Amino acid sequence: MNAITIGFKNLTRKKIRTTLTVAGIALAVAVLVSLLGFDAGYQKSLSGDIDKLGYHLLVTAKGCPYEAATLILKGGGGLRYMEENIFKRIASDPRVDKITPQLMNSVYNQEGAGGKGAFAMYVGIEHSYLELKPWLKFRWGGWFSGSAADEVIMGYEAAEVEQRKPGDKVFVPGVSKVLTVKGVLKRSGTQDDGVIFLPLATAQNIFELPGKLTGVGVKLKDIGQIADFEESLYNEPGIQVVSLAEVRGTILNLVASARAMAGSVALIAIFVALIGVTNTILVSVFERTREIGVMKALGASSFDVFKIVWSETVIVCALGGLAGVILAISGSGLTAKVIRGMLPYAPQGELVLIKGEFVWMALLAAIVVGLIAGTYPAWRASRMKPVEAIRAGE
Amino acid sequence: MKDVIVRAEKISKIYKLPGEQIAAVKDIDLDIYAGDFISIMGPSGSGKTTLLDLIGCLTSATGGRLTVMGRDVSGAGESCLVKVRRQFLGFVFQDFLLIPSLTVVENVLLSLYFSRQHQDKKRAINVLNLVGLGQRLNHLPAQLSGGEKQRVAIARAIITNPKLLLADEPTGNLDSRASQEVFDLFKQLNEKEGLAVVVVTHNPELGNQAGRVIKLKDGRLAA
Amino acid sequence: MKTIRLSFSFIFSVVSLFFCAAAVYAAVGCQLNDPDRDVKKIFPESTGYKSDFVSIKEIGGGGLYQKIEAALGDKFDPVYEAMDVPYSFYKVLKGRETIGYVHGVNQKGVFGGMQLIISTDLAGKIINFYYQKMSSPEAAKFMDKDFTGKFNGLALTDFLKGNIGISDPSKESGEDFRYTLRGVKKNLILLHELELKDNVLGSVKK
Repeated sequence: MNAITIGFKNLTRKKIRTTLTVAGIALAVAVLVSLLGFDAGYQKSLSGDIDKLGYHLLVTAKGCPYEAATLILKGGGGLRYMEENIFKRIASDPRVDKITPQLMNSVYNQEGAGGKGAFAMYVGIEHSYLELKPWLKFRWGGWFSGSAADEVIMGYEAAEVEQRKPGDKVFVPGVSKVLTVKGVLKRSGTQDDGVIFLPLATAQNIFELPGKLTGVGVKLKDIGQIADFEESLYNEPGIQVVSLAEVRGTILNLVASARAMAGSVALIAIFVALIGVTNTILVSVFERTREIGVMKALGASSFDVFKIVWSETVIVCALGGLAGVILAISGSGLTAKVIRGMLPYAPQGELVLIKGEFVWMALLAAIVVGLIAGTYPAWRASRMKPVEAIRAGE
Repeated sequence: MKDVIVRAEKISKIYKLPGEQIAAVKDIDLDIYAGDFISIMGPSGSGKTTLLDLIGCLTSATGGRLTVMGRDVSGAGESCLVKVRRQFLGFVFQDFLLIPSLTVVENVLLSLYFSRQHQDKKRAINVLNLVGLGQRLNHLPAQLSGGEKQRVAIARAIITNPKLLLADEPTGNLDSRASQEVFDLFKQLNEKEGLAVVVVTHNPELGNQAGRVIKLKDGRLAA
Repeated sequence: MKTIRLSFSFIFSVVSLFFCAAAVYAAVGCQLNDPDRDVKKIFPESTGYKSDFVSIKEIGGGGLYQKIEAALGDKFDPVYEAMDVPYSFYKVLKGRETIGYVHGVNQKGVFGGMQLIISTDLAGKIINFYYQKMSSPEAAKFMDKDFTGKFNGLALTDFLKGNIGISDPSKESGEDFRYTLRGVKKNLILLHELELKDNVLGSVKK
């Protein structure tokens, strides 16, 4: 017999009550662990996504990019473009390591999605695109046969949906153009999996945008020169420069705000669970007044009684913490799915990444909560006078 | 000359309530010697239980002097009283007051835990055999009869080798057969083990089986 | 030094421009876009449905794969029509009673993949057919109800015996017409072999 075994056996007397209290702690801990996991997973996935864009900076046409994004998502024209000569000017900068021009266009297909309408993303590129993204490999076929060939290279998923292989045809609605599949890429785990690529000149031709670009991806020789490089482009008319490191930082700041809000919810959940535990143990102490009196009659000191009741809260919280950790780990897939459905933008990769240190932190937090929650009920129990306790209810 | 276990000299217990004072026990002199078997009897409200609580150091006297095994515990605080209870006294109550989540043997070991003695399971089993419950070691209190529960309570009270066993209406919830079995056990412990026993009871048939009978009326010793 | 400020909407827009391609293509495999809506539309009297996801590999392995190929009269594409492709069958319910089936297959077309959705009665006779997806210059002609409605009443036995009686609605997309017939035939064969399991193929041979 010791305080922990006595406390544990006391908890088994009211199994439903104990289970519900443990469940409350488990839920709060699961939320906390999932939140920590989401924070780690999102940062890692976002960094991975941005790294896999391949460039440090993105130069786009000046204008309202929100309007541009809307137009692109709904299809085709009205987007602002930049002239190709800007690309040539930037390419001549000695600080540039690699540079790639792009012309992006989405095409709305009225017949898509069973007649409801759907869009497909086409991107005109040059070979420099692959040089900036060396992880893009061909599953079948290869690069375009000419700089203005009527050909496409399909991302892995785009090809799978359309069941395309090299030599097959692709019909581009809106411009009513038929192109030939020249290559299909291997799965990269990036957004490129869903894209249909065509030679830049072909894209400019079929979408009737000669000499136009939607963006230029730039990789510098020295990443430390990003700020200076941005500065030097500031006065270039008609363009704006986005540093993808800043994009990452800004998105993470935005996510941090959301995380802070969710963190508040988690803290409130923990606080509510703490109150629940205190209440449950306090009720249990009042129910056991006569037993506590007998224990004192048998020679239990106030501290003995305090230890027993305190042990009960720590056990409940430790069990709840363990259950919460298991719940968070086993439910991380579902959590990620739900979050992905809720976020307007969710990066590829593991969205909820539960590391070992989160588990230990959560268990420790649960035990600390137990120590705090149990203090008052244990103190109340220890202060009971033996004769009053024994005679209570007689 | 027998050892004095408890000496009470004009002890009183007065409860102060709003607007009045109630003297549950008034000016009682009482010596309890080693080997005594005493029953305390009296009508309801005569102060029997309060006197037992005072002797048992479950509460402090408001007047008079009380010594236990030579230690003056008059006006002592709880931290002092608990040491005295641990070392010298054992308790049995009317409602048994076993811990429902612990088995029979665990209830007995609990006593050893609180009194800081080594939790010797063999010793606990021996004591349970002594009280006739060797076959019920792993039963929970809910699985026992009233008489069996009381015998577990007695085992729990005596395992620490107290000098004095205090029993407050130990047969109050038992039938006559079980009541007599419990009293026989007290007699056995008193005669064979030399344990001093003080029993509060309002059953004269049982109370008169003790070696000495103390009668109370209105908080005082009755003639 | 001037700093370039990035507003939330700007960042969101840039990000969505470059990351939204992932949203264009849903998971591979021919499931209904919106089963709750689509099933109810085809079977207005239905109260619900039960989805089954089955592959040839699970039901009959290599032997079944070859049997289906033989009945189809054409080789399966080893990449896009592999043995472990999961097929979704929707068992349409009215209360506890099954009143029909909905099943879709992917079929390669000339200009892109087609998604062919057929709905049948309990015996496997077509009561509705439509293209959930089609890429073709003449897509509108194929998706027109005048054409798709001609499939109503046809059963697998009609396809196996060559009694279709439907003509090509297009001017220059004869190949897509043939792909459509192949796709619907494949759809019916899979329905009978994987879901209904009524050995229609065996009975027709006899």
